[in-house]
Amino acid sequence: MKTSHLSPPLLSVREVYKKFAKDIRYNLYYGIKDIFFGYNKSYDQLRHQEFWALQNVSFDLREGEILGIVGANGSGKTSLMRMIAGIYTLEQGEIMTRAQAKVTAVFALKSGMEPLYTGRENIYLKGALYGMSKQEIDSRMTFIEEFSELGDKLDTPLGNYSSGMGARLAYAIAVATNPNIFIIDEALAVGDSVFKTKCFEHLKEFVKQPSSGVLFVSNNIRKILKIATRVIVMGEGKIIMDSHDIKSALTFYIDNCLQHLEPEIREARLRTVKYYDL
Amino acid sequence: MYHNASQLRKKSFLIWQLVKVDVSSTYKRSFIGLSWMVITPLLAVVAWVLLQGAGIMAPGDTAIPYPAYVLLSTSIWSFFVGAYQASSRVLVESGRLMITIRFPHVVLIAEKVLVHTISFVIPFAINILVLVLYGVPFTIWSILFPLTLIPLLCIGVGLGLLVALMRVVAVDLAMLMDKIIGFLMFLTPIIYAPKVSLPILAKIVSFNPLTYLIGFSRDLLTAGTFFAPTIYLWVSIGSVLFLVFGFWAFTKFERKLVERMINL
Repeated sequence: MKTSHLSPPLLSVREVYKKFAKDIRYNLYYGIKDIFFGYNKSYDQLRHQEFWALQNVSFDLREGEILGIVGANGSGKTSLMRMIAGIYTLEQGEIMTRAQAKVTAVFALKSGMEPLYTGRENIYLKGALYGMSKQEIDSRMTFIEEFSELGDKLDTPLGNYSSGMGARLAYAIAVATNPNIFIIDEALAVGDSVFKTKCFEHLKEFVKQPSSGVLFVSNNIRKILKIATRVIVMGEGKIIMDSHDIKSALTFYIDNCLQHLEPEIREARLRTVKYYDL
Repeated sequence: MYHNASQLRKKSFLIWQLVKVDVSSTYKRSFIGLSWMVITPLLAVVAWVLLQGAGIMAPGDTAIPYPAYVLLSTSIWSFFVGAYQASSRVLVESGRLMITIRFPHVVLIAEKVLVHTISFVIPFAINILVLVLYGVPFTIWSILFPLTLIPLLCIGVGLGLLVALMRVVAVDLAMLMDKIIGFLMFLTPIIYAPKVSLPILAKIVSFNPLTYLIGFSRDLLTAGTFFAPTIYLWVSIGSVLFLVFGFWAFTKFERKLVERMINL
C-alpha cells in the first residue's frame, strides 16, 4: 500500500468542534436565538441542554489510506463525516483538503433516488445530485452498468429492486464520480457477499490511484479488520485512539464500548463480542 | 447573489432532473398521466358554471361576467399562494436529502418555482378559453399579462423563503403565516369587486398590496386598462426588494437550520 508521509495530507482536520441540543424545544430556541444574536459568540461553551457532538477533533488523511472510523453509537462518527462532506457548517476549527480534491460522501445509499423511476433514470438523477453533468454521466454509463452488474434490470423501476440491488446501483454511481476522498458511512451494510467483496476489492485498488483516500465508517469490526490501513476510535465526540495497529485499536474500541459495565460482566461480554466480531 | 446565479447556471441539469421528478412522479402510476393536469382545472370550471346556473352566485359590480371574474381572480391568487406554499416548504420537504448529499440548495428554490409555473400555466390556459366563451374582450395589452405576474411571484417566493426558515425552528409562526395567507384571500378583491361599501374592509383592501398586484394583472388581461398604475409600480418595486431580502435571509441561514432538522 502506497502511503506518502512527505506529501501534504489529502485531508486535514484541526480542532473541530460541533454542538447540538438534546431537547427539541431548546434546539429550536437556539436556532432562532443564533439567527438574531450570532453563532460564534462563546461557541466553545455549552449552553443549557447542549452537548458536544464533536470536541477538539484533529486528524489527517493521507493518500493511499483507508481510514476506518469506529465508535459506539452517538460517538460523533457521522457528525464528523457530515462536517468533512460540507453538509454541516463549520463553526470552530479547520477542515482543509488538498487543492482540487473532490469529496464524495455516501451516507444513505438510496437517498435522492426515486422508486418509480428506472435504475437508468436514477443514474441521471443521483449523478446530477453528486454534481455530475449529463455529459459526465453519459461518459460513465458503461462503467456504472458494468460495476452494478444489474443487466436488464437497469431499465425497470428502482422500487422493484431488492435493497442489495439498490445498493449496487447507488454505490456504482458514487464510485463513478471519481472522488479523491471517498467517505462511506455505514453504506455497505446491504448487498450480497459477492458484491460487498467486489466493493472492498475496488476500495483497495481505488486508494492505489494518486491523491486518493477513503474514510470508512463502520461498526462491523471484521470489515474494518480486513480493509482499513489505519483506525480512529471515537468516543463522546472525541478521538480516543488513532493507530495503524488495527487489531489493538479494535480491541480498544470494544473495551471502550463496555467500560460502563462492572468488571466481571465486562469480561464476560468482552469474550462474547470477540467471539462473534473478531 | 452573483455566486448563487452562477450556481443555478452550472446546475441546470440537476434542476431539470428535479423538475422532471416533481412534475411526473405524481402521475407516474396513472394510466392517463399528465392529462390530470387538464382534467382537474376543467372540473373546477364546470363547478363554477353549475353554481352560476343554479343562481347561487349573485352578479356583482364587475366589469366582466362574475363567474369569469372569480375564475380569473382565483387563478391569479393561486399563482401567488402556490409560489408561497412551494417555497415555504422547501427545507422541511427536502431535509433528508440535504443532510445526506451536499448540493447547492438554491437549486431547490429554482425547481419549486419552475414546477409551480408549469402547474399554473396549463389550468390557466383552460381558464382563458372559458373567458373567451364568456365573451371577455381581450386587447393587445393582454400580451403583457405574464410579465405583470412577476411581482406577484416575487412577493410569494420572498415570503415563502422567510417562512421556510421559520418552518424549521419557529413552527408556530409558520403555521400562523399559513393561516394569515389563507385569510388574506378574503381581504383581497378576488371573489368581490375592488369597490367595497363596508368602510373598514375598504380601508384594508386599499392598504393590501395584493389588491394592486392582482387587480392590475386582471384588468390588463380582460379590459386592457391599468388598475392604479402608480401604486402598482411602487408595490412591484417593493416586491422585488422583498424577494431579494427573502433570498438573502434564506441563503444566509438555511444551512445552519438544516442541521437542526436532524433532531426533529
